[in-house]
Formats: sequence, structure tokens, C-alpha cells
Amino acid sequence: MSVNKIPVGPFHPLLEEAEYFELKVDGETVVDIDLEIGWMHRGHEFISESKTFTQSIFLVERICGICSTSHPLALVHAIEDIDNIEIPLRARYIRTLIGELERIHSHLLWIGLAGHFIGYDTLWMWAWKYREPILQMFEMITGNRNHYGMMRVGGVARDVDPVIIPKLLEDLDIVDKKMVMIAGAAKDDPVLRSRLKNVGILTHQAAVDLCAVGPTARASGIAIDVRKDDPTDAYDLVDFNMIVKKNGDVYDKLVVRVLETLESTKIVRQCLEKLKVVQGAILNDVKEVSAGEGIGRYEAPRGEVFHYIRSDGTNRPIRHKVRAPSYVNIPTYVASCKGIPVADALITLAAVDPCYCCTERTIQLIDANRNPVAVDLLKLSREKTERVRREIHD
Amino acid sequence: MQEIDQFKERMDGKISHLIDKKQRFYFNVGSENLCEVAEYLFKNLGCRLSTATAMEMMHGIEILYHFSLDRAGQYFCPRVVITDKEHPKVPSITSIIGGAVWIEREMFDLWGIEFDGHPRMEELLTIHHPRGLKQPMRFGRTE
Repeated sequence: MSVNKIPVGPFHPLLEEAEYFELKVDGETVVDIDLEIGWMHRGHEFISESKTFTQSIFLVERICGICSTSHPLALVHAIEDIDNIEIPLRARYIRTLIGELERIHSHLLWIGLAGHFIGYDTLWMWAWKYREPILQMFEMITGNRNHYGMMRVGGVARDVDPVIIPKLLEDLDIVDKKMVMIAGAAKDDPVLRSRLKNVGILTHQAAVDLCAVGPTARASGIAIDVRKDDPTDAYDLVDFNMIVKKNGDVYDKLVVRVLETLESTKIVRQCLEKLKVVQGAILNDVKEVSAGEGIGRYEAPRGEVFHYIRSDGTNRPIRHKVRAPSYVNIPTYVASCKGIPVADALITLAAVDPCYCCTERTIQLIDANRNPVAVDLLKLSREKTERVRREIHD
Repeated sequence: MQEIDQFKERMDGKISHLIDKKQRFYFNVGSENLCEVAEYLFKNLGCRLSTATAMEMMHGIEILYHFSLDRAGQYFCPRVVITDKEHPKVPSITSIIGGAVWIEREMFDLWGIEFDGHPRMEELLTIHHPRGLKQPMRFGRTE
């Protein structure tokens, strides 16, 4: 057996956060994968120990550029857990509203990228077109399209102006209808089904053993969702379904995310309707944090975000632990990539939804003689989709 | 009988200082009992290892594991205290839980804690650091 190595990264256009993957291939089949992280280590946990609790909220908001509100939300949950701080009802709905809008835009971003990776550029353009109204809704509510600065210990920083609620509901209706269309197109398309079904399977047992979270776990039949299991904010006051699939392949991960987007629009609508009638404060005045420890978590678009805070009674934590969902989901590549063709590696890697940006991507294939040969993973993936399309339509 | 009661009964004598705080259970475990406790939580109760938090205190280095019992919305947090700060060492739980590989490597990297039985005991985050950071989260070792 002649095994070649395909290095991807560490600074690669596929990956927004720098990581290094080394695919070991035998012919066109991936036989193993090695992962290295640490290229983007910024020491947030260490920095946080020198910041006040309020400053830390802004710090952790910058951990992730896509799901920027998940970390602040988990952090304020952890601080509130130390003293069992209650938050006003209106603030609970606002927190849930922001969290779910973020899930919609994050999932739409992924759906668009997944479409692009397999040569479905129409899906890519549709998804990103209808992501735009969500970002505009964020701007109307918070003043920013990303990094909203909304979370505070004891509530939220900014109220939702009742005047804009009808406009928000109107925009949401448009997104909702288009999401139903995208969901129908994605589920009914024979090429998409053939291209993604049984590709990059993460078995239920592997997902359990590797402690996967979020859509990665739910697509493998693990029914976990912090919003249902340990509801905070307004999640116990709104009606929604947890989406769980069984096969663990890329197709199921796509279906989970598409259907979750529709569930999120349901939650957003309920929150906006409640914000019309629920009045009152949005922030409880929290003067100090006691000595103790607290755990906070939130179901980010990629899965559970976990924060742990140890306080000595001052206004700074003595220990702040952060665990993002990608940290536990990325190792599942090893289980889901083994035995698949190289042409499927890109979409399998992308199916976990690590942070990545969408530009041209090229990798170098190193053969036994160490002569680098330019190979384009994106091209391989798109060519395979074209082959599948021709086989189906011819 | 609730899971926490089952756990307390089964682990009687192996855990101590249990704090029950609103669905979060913090308790101390000796390093000799760590694997047994982790195995019971993961395989018998069906917990998921969320992560582990290491921290250096005056009395030693603490490792606080975070096991999530998702179906009940609970967190089980075994705490192991290592008093030998110069050569901190505990058994690895990677043979029980595959998801612990990176978690233990990170603690080895940033705190210098050695995990006995780990399949790949090397740095996770600072392995390619240009200035070669050594255990940057330990007292007095940060640049």
C-alpha cells in the first residue's frame, strides 16, 4: 500500500481559524487523518483573569466571529450560576431572540458554503441572500450586524424598540418562506441526495465516544440540546422541536441544520410576539459576585458552549474556562473521514461546521518522492457532483 | 432513585466533600479512584465529558472534570487535587473516553500535568509557538 499525505493548512483558505489537517490517502481513499490545532491560540482564559466580569463579556464575544453571542451568553450564565441571579422576563425573551437569530444566520452561512463546496452555487447564493435580512434585523435591534454587545450579568444591555417589531416580523416571514423553499429543494433534489447521502458517516457510537455536541451529535442520533436539557432564558417558555437524525452522514447534518433554522424562526416569532406584551426592566442591578464557582452553557449553532468561572469575591475571576463546540466536534473528523474518497473529504470536513472562509482553496499532494503536486479539493468535490448529476440525468 | 443518589451510593468512600448546587454536583476524588468514577459516569450513567478545568492553587494543582448528564440537565464535576506541584501526574481517562484526548493534552501543555497512559502525551496548543512556551498557565512561568 502506497500512502500519500495531503496537508491542509495551517493557513488555508478553507479554514477561517487556522488548523492543520494531514490526510493520508491510498489512491483516492482517505485512510487516516491527523489534526493539529493551536495556530490561533490567543490565551482568552489567561487574559480573562485580568479583566473584570463585565470586561470579560466583551472579551469572549470576540472568540468567534460567527456565533459571537454564544460565548457571552454562556459566560453570563456561569456568573449568574454562582449567585443564582434571576433575570427579568423581558430580558429572557431578548436573550433568546438574539441567540436564535444568530443560529439562523450561522446555519444559513453553513448551508451556503456547503452548497458551494459541492458545486451547488445556486444554493449558496440563495442561502446568503436570505441571510442578509437576518443581519439587518440584528442591526435594527442591536445597532450591529455582528458583535452585538447585548449580554450583561443580570439581563441585557439594550431593549427592543416596540416600533420595529412589526418590521422584524415582516422580514422574518420572508426568510421563513424562503427557508421552506430551500428546505424543499434540498430534500427533494436527487443529485444533492446522491452526493451527500452516506458520505462521511459519523456513527452513533463514535459520536458518543468522542463527546460530540450540537448538529454533529444530533445527526448521529444523539438527542442532546442544551435548550431542551437545561433550559435557561426563555427556552422553557417557547415551543420548538429538537431535530434528531440517525444516519450521521453529511446529508443528515444538512437536514438537521435546515430544519433547525425553521425551528429557530418559530422561536424568534414567539419572542417578538411576547415582547409586544411583556413589559418591565431588562437588567437587574448586580453589584458584586460572591466567592464560588459557576457553570454556564448555551446551545450555540455548532453545539454546547461551556464556560466555568471560579470567583474569590473580587470583581475578577480567578479561573475562567472556555470550551467551544468545535473543540469536541473537530476530532470527529478522524472517525468520519476514514475510508471515504478524497473528493468527499472537503464536504465531510465542512459538515462539522468549523469556522472557515470562502475563497479559492488549493492544497499540495506530496507523493512518495516528496514532489509537490497542486491539487484542488474544491475542484475535486465539485467535479464529483457534476459526475453524479450526469449519471442521474443521462 | 435519582442518578445522584445512585452515584453517591455506588461511590461511597471514593468521593468526598460533595456540594449539591442547583443541578451541579462538585465532589473530590482521589487520583487512584478517578478512572473508576469516570467510567461509572460515562458508561453507567451515560454522561458526556464536556471538558476539564485545570487550575493552580496554593495547596496544589486542581483538575475539575465536567461530566454532563444531558437527559437530566445536570453536571457532575469530580475534582482531583495534585499536591506534588513539581511533577503533577494523574491517570489518563482516554482509554475510557475517546473525547478526553485533546482535553488532557491541553492540560499537559498549559500546566505540565502528565496523564499516565495517554496515547500521545504532547503539547496541543503551544507546540508550534515560535518562542517555545513552557506551561504558560503556571504561576510565574508566563512571559
